[in-house]
Amino acid sequence: MTDDSTPQRLTSARLGVSKGLLTMAVSTVVLVILGFALAPSSVSQGAVLGMLPFASVLAIVGLGQMLVVQQGGIDLSVPGAVSLAVVLSTHIPNQDDSMLVPAILAVYAWAIGAGLLNGFMVGRLGLNPIIATLGTNALLFGAVLGISGGIPRTTTRLLSSIAGGRTAGIPNALLIALVVLVLVTILVKRTVAGRRFEAVGASPAAARATGLRYRTHRGAAYVWAQLLFATAGIMLAGITNQPTAFQGNTYLLTSVAVVVLGGTSLLGGRGYPVATFVAALFLSQLDQFVLALGVPFAVRTLVQAAALAIGVAIYTVDWAALRRRLAARPDASAPAAP
Amino acid sequence: MNIQTAEAPTTVATLVMSDISKSFGGVAALTDVSLEVLPGEVHALLGENGAGKSTLMNVATGTIRPDAGTMVFRGELIDNIDPRDAGRLGIAFVHQHPAVLPDMTVFENLLVALPASVFAEGPSREEFARSLLDRVNLRVHLSDRVETLTVAQKHLLEIAKAIAVKPALLVLDEPTAPLGEESVRMLFRLVREFVAGGTSVVYITHRLAEVRELADRVTVLRDGRLRATAVVEEISDRELLSLIVGRQLDSTFPPKYDGPEGEEPNFVLDRLSGPGFKDVSVAARRGEIIGVAGVVGNGQSDLLRSLAGLSQFDGAVTINGTGVSSKRLLSEAAYLPADRLSEGLMMRLTVRENAAVSALTRFRTRLLLSRKRELGMVGDTLGSLSVKAASLDAPVSSLSGGNQQKVMVARALLSEPELVLADEPTQGVDVGARAEIYQILREVSASGIPVIVASSDAKELEGLCDTVIVMSRGHVVDVLRGDELTEERMIHAAVSSTTQTVGVEDVAEAELDERAAARRAKVRRFVQGDYAPSVLLVAVMVLLGAFIFAQNDRYLGAFNISAMLLLVSALGFIAMGQTIALLTGGIDLSVGPLVGFLVVIGSFFILNESSGASILLGLAAMLGTSIVVGLVNGTLIRYVRFTAIAATLTVYIALQGMSFILRPTAEGFINSEVSRAITTKLGPIPIAFVVLVLLVLGLEYALRKTPWGWRLRAAGSDEESARRVGVEINPTIVMAYVATSVLTFLGAIMLMTQIGVGDPAQGVAYTLSSITAVVLGGTSLLGGRGTFVGTLFGSMLLVQVLNATVFLRLDQMWQYILQGVLILAAAILYAVARSSRRRRVARKA
Repeated sequence: MTDDSTPQRLTSARLGVSKGLLTMAVSTVVLVILGFALAPSSVSQGAVLGMLPFASVLAIVGLGQMLVVQQGGIDLSVPGAVSLAVVLSTHIPNQDDSMLVPAILAVYAWAIGAGLLNGFMVGRLGLNPIIATLGTNALLFGAVLGISGGIPRTTTRLLSSIAGGRTAGIPNALLIALVVLVLVTILVKRTVAGRRFEAVGASPAAARATGLRYRTHRGAAYVWAQLLFATAGIMLAGITNQPTAFQGNTYLLTSVAVVVLGGTSLLGGRGYPVATFVAALFLSQLDQFVLALGVPFAVRTLVQAAALAIGVAIYTVDWAALRRRLAARPDASAPAAP
Repeated sequence: MNIQTAEAPTTVATLVMSDISKSFGGVAALTDVSLEVLPGEVHALLGENGAGKSTLMNVATGTIRPDAGTMVFRGELIDNIDPRDAGRLGIAFVHQHPAVLPDMTVFENLLVALPASVFAEGPSREEFARSLLDRVNLRVHLSDRVETLTVAQKHLLEIAKAIAVKPALLVLDEPTAPLGEESVRMLFRLVREFVAGGTSVVYITHRLAEVRELADRVTVLRDGRLRATAVVEEISDRELLSLIVGRQLDSTFPPKYDGPEGEEPNFVLDRLSGPGFKDVSVAARRGEIIGVAGVVGNGQSDLLRSLAGLSQFDGAVTINGTGVSSKRLLSEAAYLPADRLSEGLMMRLTVRENAAVSALTRFRTRLLLSRKRELGMVGDTLGSLSVKAASLDAPVSSLSGGNQQKVMVARALLSEPELVLADEPTQGVDVGARAEIYQILREVSASGIPVIVASSDAKELEGLCDTVIVMSRGHVVDVLRGDELTEERMIHAAVSSTTQTVGVEDVAEAELDERAAARRAKVRRFVQGDYAPSVLLVAVMVLLGAFIFAQNDRYLGAFNISAMLLLVSALGFIAMGQTIALLTGGIDLSVGPLVGFLVVIGSFFILNESSGASILLGLAAMLGTSIVVGLVNGTLIRYVRFTAIAATLTVYIALQGMSFILRPTAEGFINSEVSRAITTKLGPIPIAFVVLVLLVLGLEYALRKTPWGWRLRAAGSDEESARRVGVEINPTIVMAYVATSVLTFLGAIMLMTQIGVGDPAQGVAYTLSSITAVVLGGTSLLGGRGTFVGTLFGSMLLVQVLNATVFLRLDQMWQYILQGVLILAAAILYAVARSSRRRRVARKA
């Protein structure tokens, strides 16, 4: 009714900043400032260079998890997938650089297989993603143990120099993660399939009513996710000199945490790749910070839990409604704010 | 305005509503409506869609609180009532959408919805329930799952629930819509019986024939206002009709089609039948708009959905001389659903993304989308429709109803469709935008794209369309063109129709060969029942056991058996807890770290040198902690609105941290005498396992036979329906998470003896293995359905498989593979069984 402005041509801003990205970026900056003030060793060059490769791996895993979560799913096969990639890329070459390419091809072949299995079960058969990916995770660990026998092998020098090295002072792992981030963003935002994928995540019912093949898109998320988990696993194999067979275990909860912190809803909807990436940096730096404060290892976990709880609360609680309710309480007759 | 023709009541009225007003977000739904219902009368409530009939009755039953007005029930002033109060007062409401719980049986649905006192009447509760079903002519077995019932049968069940409480006032909201002929006759008989006994009945309907047959008095509403109350015998159909129609519509319509008469039609439907509609034939020429009229839910939306390619149809659709298939329509027809919120638009996406989603291929340059082209085309189209929004990046949910509708139209236009289907295109749209939307639809039609508009607003169709088909219960009851195309004709055709619903075979007929099918039904019920997975698991366990025993005869030795059963006990208790969480439709990821944390707490109190008091204190601390954790989980989920995964994941991480704070390394050896006491055995059977089995049986009984169990499953099965039958959802679910944690505490006692030391790293794996055990047992992750017995067998099988790898000398790899295969096989098997069951129901309906 108040809308009497003459309609003008609608415009679009080139860069939008999501709530999640804003929250994460501000939190990370605050964390760095706190680091300078309270725990300078957490922002020393050595600490940051040591943190970034692992943060990059987490970021890539997180991006994969995000693609699944934005379709209203969850992928619990992260540990198996990452561990299998680590094991394949160390065991097949067995320190022979020339065998690295076949090893990486094998990693991606397994990833596609696992992704198709998950995607088929969730997208086609309509299984609950928790059960389906839990089962796949067990199978992947079966493969990990079948291939490695549980015994770690040393990384090839080539992989270690690529994933663990630096270019112009910047860790290669970070560069790779940035490339992955750009790729994911372009695929989702700038291709027909990606945009449809996003639409299906935002509302499966509406996507179906507009004639999109929503089941296929839902299933495809799991394939994309596995490819990213595999990439992360290969990098992890390069960064860690002698990775264990269970290297992926730590990434299950943290991958879900960075997705949630980045503002993607666990009920599905839009995914926020950049925010997820920054959330991975934030969570890793948080670790460093707490570590540098000299408090016990365990406190780190508690701080993570608190960060997660606050993060989820920021996105799920309807703050505007809460403010209205609180504001209305002293004077119940006052009309609610618009 | 108020033509009060009824004579003054001689007795105390059952219900008197005076000057009730209610508005939703500034839109008046009811304005000063008064209604009086006398004892022993059938009072019909008549009016168009949106006239306020259901809203008025929702006020009477406490579902909606009025803004103004008073209500007197049997001489007593009532205000601020909720549905439960209404139930206690003796007001029963049979909704259009039955509040039934799909995962529970017919009997359980009755038990959870009705007060216990009602059942005291019969010789037994089953007898009473059966007599209740007989009265409404519902021929199903008490232990049939409601999910397997047809829509009509669910309605009969809803009616049975309403009459069971012997209400003083029974409200029926379009009760005959889904019913077949015989059930309608039964219902009428039932209503007459009831009013003869002094009950008052409010009968909401669109159908004059039903008013004539059943009602004593009739009240007509229009636009939320009272038009008149009259004695049925004293008012003619024409008078009633004139009260219903005549809605003011201050919208302007574009001129109608005025092309040459002889032109060939460019759109033809020939005897189209599909789910919910039958034998629809209509044709239109270039520039003509087809309207689909009728009372909401009479097949109009079904017809449009089929034309959009979303469901199959028989018959022919011809566009511009070529027949088109359902598959082609899916990609080439532009469908604008009535439900903008959930189906029409992707509310979380922006205006640009919504408008562009059907036309993405047009913006593509080689591989990538061209931003310039997309912004250009989307901007042009939105501009030509004069959509008002902050920017292209504004979330579509921030737009007004009219602008949202225009975004949908823009999406349709951008996709260059062959056919445009608009369902209720002006619902919730302001007057100005309405006129614009009519104009746009006209232009689309003139450009040669056939346009079909379904609307419950006859006035709108009169102004907009060139041809209107009137649908009733899925049939076309009239086709109107030219001068006949008036609101009166449409409403007359819709309200005087006596057709039967398409696709609903009569309940009684469906079960004719009842006795012959009885034995098969018994088997079917078992297979569909909750215990089929348990039988399957036992079979697998026996086979696996026999196989291992053949390889290694120490397998069934006392040592191995008691070792296995101890492991089962720990997992079993925790999995019991997980079962409760899953039954509510949630999940508890924190059980693993919780069990570890509880052991760590125990390791401070229950040491070798500890006194008895200290040990008791330790157990109390563990129990208290588990209760607190359950409360935190439940509160986060129900009151802070976290998803179950997010909430329990947060608690998961926090608990892990706290374990490491209390015990940075494994320390604190558990009192060996306590351990010995807990692991006491009877022969090869540990006492703890016996306790577990007893607990399983007790919980299973509680789940099936006590109000706690019904409420728990009701909340998990369908939250909205559960709320309507009076289940308090929040406390039920918070207590469920507390129960989960307390059962985890029992698991912690077992684990304590197994680890023997306060190790902060232990326990975490129980999260996933408990979920695995529960899923193997056949409990659904969707909530509402599952068994503790199944979970017990699931836990046993899981432990057995892990143990088997030792006896078969398989390495660790096989542990994982067998576990994975087991869980996937179970999940796929149960899911396939369930979906084939659904298909069977769909065929039946």
